[in-house]
Amino acid sequence: MNRMPIWMDCDTGTDDAVAIMLAHALPELEIKGISAVCGNAEQEKTYWNTQRVIGLVGARYPVYRGAERPLMKPLTTAAHAHGQNGLGGVELPVPADAAVPELPAWDALYECARQYPGELRLIATAPLTNIAIAFTKHPDLPGLLRDMLVMGGSAGRGNITPAAEFNFFVDPHAASVVFRSGVKLTMCGLDVTLQAYLTRAQLDGFAASGTRVGRFVSECTRPGRKLVEKFGLPGFSMHDCCPVMFAAHPELFGGEMAGVVIETRGDITSGKSVTDLYSDKQFPFKNAFVVLKLDRERFISILTERLLSLG
Amino acid sequence: MSEMKKIPLILDGDPGHDDAIAWTIAHASGRFDILACTAAAGNTTVEKTLYNALRVCTLIGLRVPVAGGCPHPLLTDLMVAPSVHGESGLDGPALPEPAFAPENIPSVELMARVIRACPDKVTIVSTGPMTNTAALLLSYPELKDRIERVSMMGGGLGFGNWTPAAEFNILVDPDAAKIVFESGVPIMMAGLDVTEKALILPQDFERIRAQGTAVSDVVWQWLEFFYTFHKNIGYAGAPMHDPCAVMALIHPEVFTMRDYYVQIETNGEYCRGATVADWYGTLGKKPNVTAIVDVDRDAFADRLVALIGRYKEMGA
Repeated sequence: MNRMPIWMDCDTGTDDAVAIMLAHALPELEIKGISAVCGNAEQEKTYWNTQRVIGLVGARYPVYRGAERPLMKPLTTAAHAHGQNGLGGVELPVPADAAVPELPAWDALYECARQYPGELRLIATAPLTNIAIAFTKHPDLPGLLRDMLVMGGSAGRGNITPAAEFNFFVDPHAASVVFRSGVKLTMCGLDVTLQAYLTRAQLDGFAASGTRVGRFVSECTRPGRKLVEKFGLPGFSMHDCCPVMFAAHPELFGGEMAGVVIETRGDITSGKSVTDLYSDKQFPFKNAFVVLKLDRERFISILTERLLSLG
Repeated sequence: MSEMKKIPLILDGDPGHDDAIAWTIAHASGRFDILACTAAAGNTTVEKTLYNALRVCTLIGLRVPVAGGCPHPLLTDLMVAPSVHGESGLDGPALPEPAFAPENIPSVELMARVIRACPDKVTIVSTGPMTNTAALLLSYPELKDRIERVSMMGGGLGFGNWTPAAEFNILVDPDAAKIVFESGVPIMMAGLDVTEKALILPQDFERIRAQGTAVSDVVWQWLEFFYTFHKNIGYAGAPMHDPCAVMALIHPEVFTMRDYYVQIETNGEYCRGATVADWYGTLGKKPNVTAIVDVDRDAFADRLVALIGRYKEMGA
């Protein structure tokens, strides 16, 4: 099979960790590089967490350092959902042979895109700071990519605030740069990612599998499970796995093209992805495929099978 | 129904086809002691909405004090909606000329007067931009506790219409809406979440036309006019935005309602005028809004048709 080259930009993060492992395990995809950015935790943590996760599955991918702060506002982290260390409190060793490349995230991504012009698929599961810097520094980058798949935003409800989803709330200005960039964009927002949940029983199944990866998936969700209960959700959402799964299995998803803009100036709506699905006067552009539907059963089945295949 | 105590009511709106239908069913229901009608700037200018208010009251035989309200939103210029309601704000059938004159005082004074004179708390039905109600709360804060609730049409918890984030009535004067929503007065909110589902279908138009009264004849033509705009943008019927705010007081049983803490965005590049609901209680605030989120469409339509049918007995 011809594997599709992908780049991942993450703020690892529990579900980022699972998304990286999923991308590693999907035969349709081939990771060419990973960049880390601040978000769920400080960049220093998300960087080494990324190294730890690829170490856990015995992979060797170059991991690049990215932004330590959002473009224009102070960092908000999500220790409430991802634990103080970003991995739900699970301690993983840093691989002894972990290399730290010199090149910053935005230049490494650009070099990779030039190596695979029209082929590289960019999967971002974090605040879009690294990508905004890359698009700003290298204006031809959006046109070099095959497409970009984002976990972030929401056509409807927010999570970190009533109006905004976490990744876009952390760096609304960066999200705005990306949505204005002209890159071919797929938005996996809360509309779909809240459907991509593992129930308590399914998480217990991962724990009982006796595999390292299965145990990790179950353990790292512990802080998040409290939020699940607090908000009355049906299970723990694997938000960041959605764009990865979409890249390999678009047939599991449904959605529509829509105009999407990012609010950067609101008092209570900063970071809201304003999605024009219903208004009387439509935006004169449709810049993103907004994912709204998921075949959850098949999603969970592929996710489970692939992750547990890693041992 | 006649044994139930009537709800003292002020009708504040910017008629407007759906405002006019809202007032028509309010008067027909017999459930309200309508104390005053006040005209808001919104669908069109306040001169025109006042004239329309007087014509509607004349048509339906509602003889109460009527006054014109604030000519523009609290902090901004007026934005109107001629594409929906026509140049007069109430285009379509010929209406009787006003049979009486408006009060010679602004709406805020008329509202204050009737609220003070009423022994019971007064409900305000707000079916336009909320400028007049905000002006009342700013001018006479001591009357806040004399208001039972504001039943309003405006906003949308899930989406907007005039912009992707905002509904027209709130978008025209978000600052006024913020004042009312933060006032502590209980709000019943008929937003787009429900009003887009409260459709009157062409077969319902025919049921109204068949009633054969002067009022039903005009209501039928209003519906036809209002539907023409909406049909062109893909609606299966005429959305009864404003009548929801009245129907919720007459027949709450046809609606599904939920309590939320709702804030109004008054800034923002794209979100000015958004009604932002705290779905998950993230902010830990007490709900300030009873939001109407769903409707039994057929039951709603049957009740609306029946209410307009009462003009047969009322002799109008």
